[in-house]
Amino acid sequence: MSDIAKSQVMHAKDIKQLSTQQTVAKILAKIAVYAFLGVMALIVLFPFYWMLISSVKSLDEYILAVPTFFPQEFHFENYIDAFTTANLGTLFLNTVYVGVVSTALSLVITVLSAFAFARLEFKGKNALFAALLATMMIPGELFTITNYITVSKLGWLNTFEVLIIPFLVSVFYIYLLKQNFMQIPNELYLAAKVDGTSDIKYLWKVMIPLALPTLISITILKMMGSWNSYMWPNLVADDAAHHLVTNGLRGAFVVEEGGMVNFPVQMAAVAIVSFPLFMVFLFLRKYIMKGVSRSGIKG
Amino acid sequence: MKKILAAILLVALCLSLFAFTGCNVSDGGATTDGGNGGSKDEESTTKEQIDVEVNPLPESLIYDGSAVEITFYHTMGANLRGVLDKYVEKFNEMYPNITITHSQVGSYDDVRDKISTELTAGNQPNIAYCYPDHVALYNLADAVVTLDDFIASTATVTKDDGTTETYGLTQEQIDDFIDAYYDEGRQFGDGKMYTMPLSKSTEVLYYNATFFEEHDLKVPTNWDEMEEVCKKILEIDPNCIPLGYDSESNWFITMCEQLNSDYTTANGDNPEDHFLFDNETNREFVKRFSEWYYEGYVTTQELFGAYTSGLFAATEGQRSYMCIGSSAGASYQRPDKNDEGQYPFEVGITTVPQISSDNRKVISQGPSVCIFEADDQEVAASWLFVKYLTTCVEFQAEFGMVSGYVPVLESVAEFAPYKAYIDSANGGSGITALSAKVCLEQKDAYYVSPAFNGSSEARDQVGVLMQYCMTQYKNVAGDDGAIDAMIEEAFMAAVEECIYMS
Amino acid sequence: MVNTKHPWKAWLYLSPAIVLLLIFTLWPIINTVVMAFQEGYSIQQASKGKEFEFGLDNFAYVIEYRGFLTCLKNTILLCVLTVPISTMLALLIAVCLNSIKPLQKFLQTIFFLPYVTNSIAIGMVFAAMFNVVGTVSAKEPIIQTWGIINNIIMFFGGEPVNWINAGSEYWANIFVLTVYIVWNALPFKILVLLGGLQSVNKQYYDAAKIDSTPKWRVFTKITVPLLSPMIAYVVITGFIGGFKEYSSIVGIFGEKMGPPGAMGKPLNTMVGYIYDSISRQQGRASAAALILFGIIFVVTMINLYVSKKKTHY
Repeated sequence: MSDIAKSQVMHAKDIKQLSTQQTVAKILAKIAVYAFLGVMALIVLFPFYWMLISSVKSLDEYILAVPTFFPQEFHFENYIDAFTTANLGTLFLNTVYVGVVSTALSLVITVLSAFAFARLEFKGKNALFAALLATMMIPGELFTITNYITVSKLGWLNTFEVLIIPFLVSVFYIYLLKQNFMQIPNELYLAAKVDGTSDIKYLWKVMIPLALPTLISITILKMMGSWNSYMWPNLVADDAAHHLVTNGLRGAFVVEEGGMVNFPVQMAAVAIVSFPLFMVFLFLRKYIMKGVSRSGIKG
Repeated sequence: MKKILAAILLVALCLSLFAFTGCNVSDGGATTDGGNGGSKDEESTTKEQIDVEVNPLPESLIYDGSAVEITFYHTMGANLRGVLDKYVEKFNEMYPNITITHSQVGSYDDVRDKISTELTAGNQPNIAYCYPDHVALYNLADAVVTLDDFIASTATVTKDDGTTETYGLTQEQIDDFIDAYYDEGRQFGDGKMYTMPLSKSTEVLYYNATFFEEHDLKVPTNWDEMEEVCKKILEIDPNCIPLGYDSESNWFITMCEQLNSDYTTANGDNPEDHFLFDNETNREFVKRFSEWYYEGYVTTQELFGAYTSGLFAATEGQRSYMCIGSSAGASYQRPDKNDEGQYPFEVGITTVPQISSDNRKVISQGPSVCIFEADDQEVAASWLFVKYLTTCVEFQAEFGMVSGYVPVLESVAEFAPYKAYIDSANGGSGITALSAKVCLEQKDAYYVSPAFNGSSEARDQVGVLMQYCMTQYKNVAGDDGAIDAMIEEAFMAAVEECIYMS
Repeated sequence: MVNTKHPWKAWLYLSPAIVLLLIFTLWPIINTVVMAFQEGYSIQQASKGKEFEFGLDNFAYVIEYRGFLTCLKNTILLCVLTVPISTMLALLIAVCLNSIKPLQKFLQTIFFLPYVTNSIAIGMVFAAMFNVVGTVSAKEPIIQTWGIINNIIMFFGGEPVNWINAGSEYWANIFVLTVYIVWNALPFKILVLLGGLQSVNKQYYDAAKIDSTPKWRVFTKITVPLLSPMIAYVVITGFIGGFKEYSSIVGIFGEKMGPPGAMGKPLNTMVGYIYDSISRQQGRASAAALILFGIIFVVTMINLYVSKKKTHY
């Protein structure tokens, strides 16, 4: 074997060694990633687990000084109690109605506003945006009384309007979507303009599909908001016809003696009403994660 | 990140400057504010126990049989709502034109917050569950109807079946109320009646009767005996905490009453006039009980970190053999049945320990109801309904049996179904009845505290104060001067906080 | 940025948002300002026609409060601790989630679950984990349980810590609060950053792959810059929310805003102060809100300035 050939073999060996090292490093990195995600997942999952086990405990077990991490006995009847104690059917329909309508309207408003801020140029834009951000900085609790007087003057008490309209605009979401829109290259908009596409068409055909993951996030957040709101509905719409889930659930499970709440049954009820949300998420998740198709986009 | 940190430091600096100038401003401002506080109270010129002038009720405030809708906010759970519905129906047999809508608004705090917001737009309900300090808050808006003229009214109203009843309360009806409960409506400094008692509870001493009998222990009736018995129990079971006390606030206020020392007053022009609890007598008992905690005689719910009832009802491991808690929570003080279906020990219930048997004092708590300003006929209909609920023996009895609270009328004890209930009292299955029985037997001992804006702050602060002294005792134990200094400082801080917040 | 021929269009798109904000946000803010400058304002007394003098008394009252500096310190401390920690953790989790193939869906679902978990349940878990049950400050303490966290610490030979109970120390309280707030903030931040990652053009990554750029460099040179608008968003809204911290403290310590037996609400925050005054002393509450507004405004302006320099659009 010639010297040259020898050195070539050596070289190939080196490369082979190098690539094994790389593979090992890669595998180790993968393990590290999975280990990290696994630990975080466990930490994040724990309260959810707690909700589920609490919902099948007896009240006596629930209030033990040393809490149990696995129910001593399974009280699945808590779920039946939860269903029959609170008038879940009506509560459900009301909440779904309020949730869907306010989410839909809120999305329209958010998309239009975010588009104006991200893509259009107009006088006072920065000042206006700063002003919007500033409204987030005052604790909202102070708005309650004034808003209460406003809606009662409008004659909106005990209507669906009062549950939907006052909170349609969220600067939080407008800002989020604006940031997302700004990630989308400007050239696309210019190209569309040259093609003579209208703003709305461009928004619909290009921006919205590209920002879909964020829009879905907003949808979920808004839905959650409707699902969990308590203070405002309790104040402005306390008649049975407009009761939402949280209003119905709170206090539905008061044990008379000593005014103690039957927490396990309440947890069961919470689990029941959380279930549809969970399903909605499972359904929408693929859109969040589906990596948007990139054809025709150049960065 | 560095920049952000720098920015925060900058803000902090600006603010400290702001704070500095702010203090200067406030020197001039303090007097004006004192003046404001004064004008608030001037309208209700107050000296203790003046006789309230009673005026004849105008014709328009007497129910005329017209159709009226009234609303009622409360905190009742499903079972009690059932009882209420039943008696609304009975009420409607007499007055079919009065429509009553009642709703469970959430907790007591929820009721207060909702109504205080609704007041700003005049949308308040007609009737609501209330605690005394809520009424003090509503009174800032002059929103609560005083009841003296209604009570004194001798007019008659006609029921649907043609019979009549006195619109006000007859002397007989007034006498039937347990005195302290009835007088609670007058605790607002001006002697006027603002609330009617609906159902009440108090604190009682639960003890492990089986254990006490086994070891031949005497159930304590005063605090010296309590100390003795705690020592004895610790000798028998060193791994226990002899006494659990639910609420430090109740403990403090009850001790003030038992010792006849000052706590608060509803009278006074300035915030500082209200809070009288920083005195030698009170510091002394706080010191005593702090030592108890340190010695391991007693713990409280919050200091222990779990329900004291759970400690009391435990049958193994760490436990306590006495517990002072709400009479309405009796069923939580009972141990679980064992495999043979027997209760592992029998619970005894008695009056909380006293300072002296001549001045027995136990706290009175639980909901009252108040009526809000509205159209005359709405107020009139509300009065009729409130009167019905508070004076109807059947309702009071049934409500008491379902809720674990105590009826406010003495005659309920003679009412056959309730009598049977009380007769079923025992330390096991009949524990709620036993608790009610003890409450009825100590009806001469109830006290209520003055209500004013800031009374709930005082209540919170004395509770924190007790906790603080109990937990800090360890750091100064053995040094009497340091203990006194620590306690004095805590009292001063508590008073200061009360004054600021009111 | 693009100039449209019709600037009115922008206003047209913004009009629904602006109209609603004027009615339900701006009007209450104006009212807040008005209340803040009326000395000793109480809405209940105002509703029966009482008039209040104009002045700065409410502000003086707030600043004079002996707990004011405590409120300020806690507000700022919690903000400075929790925003960076939660942002970095969320970024790390989002990037990791984005980079894996097997189990991706499953793990994503898990990281979403906190959303559908009731807040009462979360509070309880914390109580169960950190709560020490017993007479901690007695001469001879009787301890029923040290709590899970302490059990773990003791398992590894450490000394148990009194985290949140009577007699616990300030730093221990702050530690628990930090963990709790970060935990609460994580799911939302992960969701936003994950959404942002999806919008990042994959071609950059393909280019990096060809260059065989090391992972870490890809992260700092491509991922972070491309994701910078979303990171800026998460940080800025994180600070705004962080300065309004209140409910998490109530969640663990209750409305006494401190461990049992602590005088003067040692863990109170600015919004906590506002809550204390809001039912009777609306003037003071409003003044405190305006002071808080001033702080958040300055911090946000600095944040925006920094992010404008560092953000890549």
